Amino acid sequence: MELLGNLALGLNTALSPSNLLYCFLGVFLGTFVGVIPGIGPLAAISMLFPITFYLDPTAALIMLAGIYYGTTYGGSTASILLNIPGATSSAVTCLDGYPMAQQGRAGVALMMTTVASFAGGSFGIIILSLFSPIIAEYALSFGPADYFALMLLGLVAASTIANASPAKGLAMVVLGMLVASVGTDSQSGVARFTFGSMSLLDGFGISAMAMGLFGIGEILSSVGNARSTAIDKSSAKWRNMVPTRDDVRRSWMPGLRGSAIGSFFGALPGTGPSIAAFMAYAVEKRVSDTPERFGKGAIEGIVAPETANNAADQTAFIPTLTLGIPGSATMALMLGALMVHGIQPGPTLIVQQPALFWGLVMSFWIGNIILLVLNLPLIGLWVRMLLVPYQYLYPAILVFVCIGAYSVRANPADVLMVLGFGVLGYGLRIAGLPAAPLLLGFVLGPLIETQFRRSMVLAQGDFTTIMARPIAGTVLALTALLLVWSVVSAIRRRRRLAQAAQGGLGG
Amino acid sequence: MKTIIAAALGTTMSMTAAWAQADFPTGPVTIIVPYGTGGSTDTTARAIGIELEQIWGQPVVIQNQPGAGSMIGTTALTMADADGHTLLINTAAITTAPAIQAELQFDPIEDITPISLLITSPYVLVGGANVQSTDFSGFLEEAQTRMMFLGTAGPGSSSHFMSELVIRAANLPAEVVHFSGGGEAQTNMMGGHSDTYISTTASVMPYVNDGRVKALAVLAPERFALLPDIQSSGEAGIEGVDIEGWVALFGPGGMDPALADQINADFAQAMATASMQQMLVDNYAVAGDLTPAEFAAIYSRDLQTWDELADAIGLGN
Repeated sequence: MELLGNLALGLNTALSPSNLLYCFLGVFLGTFVGVIPGIGPLAAISMLFPITFYLDPTAALIMLAGIYYGTTYGGSTASILLNIPGATSSAVTCLDGYPMAQQGRAGVALMMTTVASFAGGSFGIIILSLFSPIIAEYALSFGPADYFALMLLGLVAASTIANASPAKGLAMVVLGMLVASVGTDSQSGVARFTFGSMSLLDGFGISAMAMGLFGIGEILSSVGNARSTAIDKSSAKWRNMVPTRDDVRRSWMPGLRGSAIGSFFGALPGTGPSIAAFMAYAVEKRVSDTPERFGKGAIEGIVAPETANNAADQTAFIPTLTLGIPGSATMALMLGALMVHGIQPGPTLIVQQPALFWGLVMSFWIGNIILLVLNLPLIGLWVRMLLVPYQYLYPAILVFVCIGAYSVRANPADVLMVLGFGVLGYGLRIAGLPAAPLLLGFVLGPLIETQFRRSMVLAQGDFTTIMARPIAGTVLALTALLLVWSVVSAIRRRRRLAQAAQGGLGG
Repeated sequence: MKTIIAAALGTTMSMTAAWAQADFPTGPVTIIVPYGTGGSTDTTARAIGIELEQIWGQPVVIQNQPGAGSMIGTTALTMADADGHTLLINTAAITTAPAIQAELQFDPIEDITPISLLITSPYVLVGGANVQSTDFSGFLEEAQTRMMFLGTAGPGSSSHFMSELVIRAANLPAEVVHFSGGGEAQTNMMGGHSDTYISTTASVMPYVNDGRVKALAVLAPERFALLPDIQSSGEAGIEGVDIEGWVALFGPGGMDPALADQINADFAQAMATASMQQMLVDNYAVAGDLTPAEFAAIYSRDLQTWDELADAIGLGN
């Protein structure tokens, strides 16, 4: 009953005309920023942060949060239509979203990602409203060894996300991990592969990597090419946006699994929507009876990551609000918006500022509903964006990518990094090497390395103590099982194929 | 009382200085913040900026240039003109980073003019879920019975240097373990994975007040007036730990001393406003009241302390 009272209080706060307006402003801006490749939520929120000095803290937080989760809604649009992720967390959506668009199913893909985003977001909000304090406590019990085990499991599970030969995929994962080793060593403070450049001391940024590899790589490889597929104007028609019964049937379980995976990774400080999207995609491909459909326009391949990244967006507020500890740079900004007003987030926030906490949570609902209503009619408009000739569209995107790269740190070197990764992305395309595993290795590699080294310091060099930890030990055992199972099933499949080939010859 | 004096002093000094440097500021003043938007240094700088716009009647632009442990923004400052229109607000990181970064593109003494100590507060040692003792004396005993892990915000951070300083001063059989930033260091301590963390009052007191972590010691010879219940490291018999955390204002090297005095006074006036005073109270911190010359002495002393410590523990490049 107390919960109902809280929800009513929250709804009352969130529905006040000014808060409603800021919520709308936030999600509208977020969608817009999400659609434009290059400018991510961090850049957008940084630019708008100074406004919070002049706003009521609840309104400020409602607006900044709106930008944050709104971006993830819009992020998939460019992934699907242009094969360029609008935000880092929607890089995975390119894998199946773009093939869908090439098959004339852009409208369906956009419709499904919008609905999936809403479903994932709603799932995350339910978790956030019901279990925040419990989850925050549970997340604290994750030590470096547990993170290490979890990220290793993720790497093993997701290393086969690309439709390339395992050797190529694995090579790209390793390359990604190597690229991520540039920067200050996490335990000794020694500069690694920086060649005296201060800009490299913090390593490469994930958004520079994603925008360069996928965005600029795509733009470079399109230069001189005639548009490979004529986009069918009719895919913008409502009739062609409605998913088939088969699409809906296939999307149920991926949506649920994606929401659960997203909620889990969102609530863990240090991980977030990008890792969640990768994991959700990897899980779907693994559990699918027809993994060969992935990468060729499988609806599960867009529903899973899109529910996951939106769910993660919402649950990322759990450590931020209940512990007062941000799990990411964007969450640190949210926290800053509260601190500016002398409000200290932490376990007491819910008790001392119930209107703020529940108002924010209820504004998430309202924001998600606004996003659903806002995005569905916009689909037609976005699809028509493809009718803009590429010689105008791509230079514009290039400009936005450069602005987005520069604006976060005001460092020109970041623009060079994006362009460098663009050239790398182009090279990979020519060589027929998949970029997604590279990004995966880049995201998980440093986490695996630093968490492992931390856990070794804490265990004083004794590896067996890692195995003895309940979470880490279980997860490592699962990882080993998965590895064995992958090898066995690969051998079996090869045998079956060989037998089938022989049978075919015999008949 | 201190505040009133500081304010009065500030006003008098700014009037005298205004006579000397009537032409400052002649345009917008840029304050470089070498950290990301929304962090504690950034929000402090923005709050001061709002007050300074009133005092100066000129726009104050906060420019975030994060990276390389605050050294990217600091380097940007050293390349600006020393006419007071480009300033830097940085933490004690400006003294720790040079100790470990070999490739620094400026001379921390020649290319930087320390102008004003804005905010100062002691470093506090806090203990997490696994620490049984409730004060520093108890902690020192506990640390003899089992290996303690002192969590830091990263190699070369002030939490790292302070941890090393405590280990050496108290001769503890402890080890440091580095996390990626203060947030991660604190969650790991709360979860009982590491044992302690050292940071300024503003970063740790919220969690102490929540009861999530225990304040073991104020790292200073004497107790801190705003936190009288916390034992000082000096009381527990540990000597040689006498460094405070701060947020301070810097200009490019070779700034005219008269101009530095005027800017110092203008900032003192901004710090004396009711909103800034409230911020100090919320963060258990004190406004600094040093002249540029007095602050420069502390700045070079801290630089040297960390440099020697980095050499002693073999840190850096």
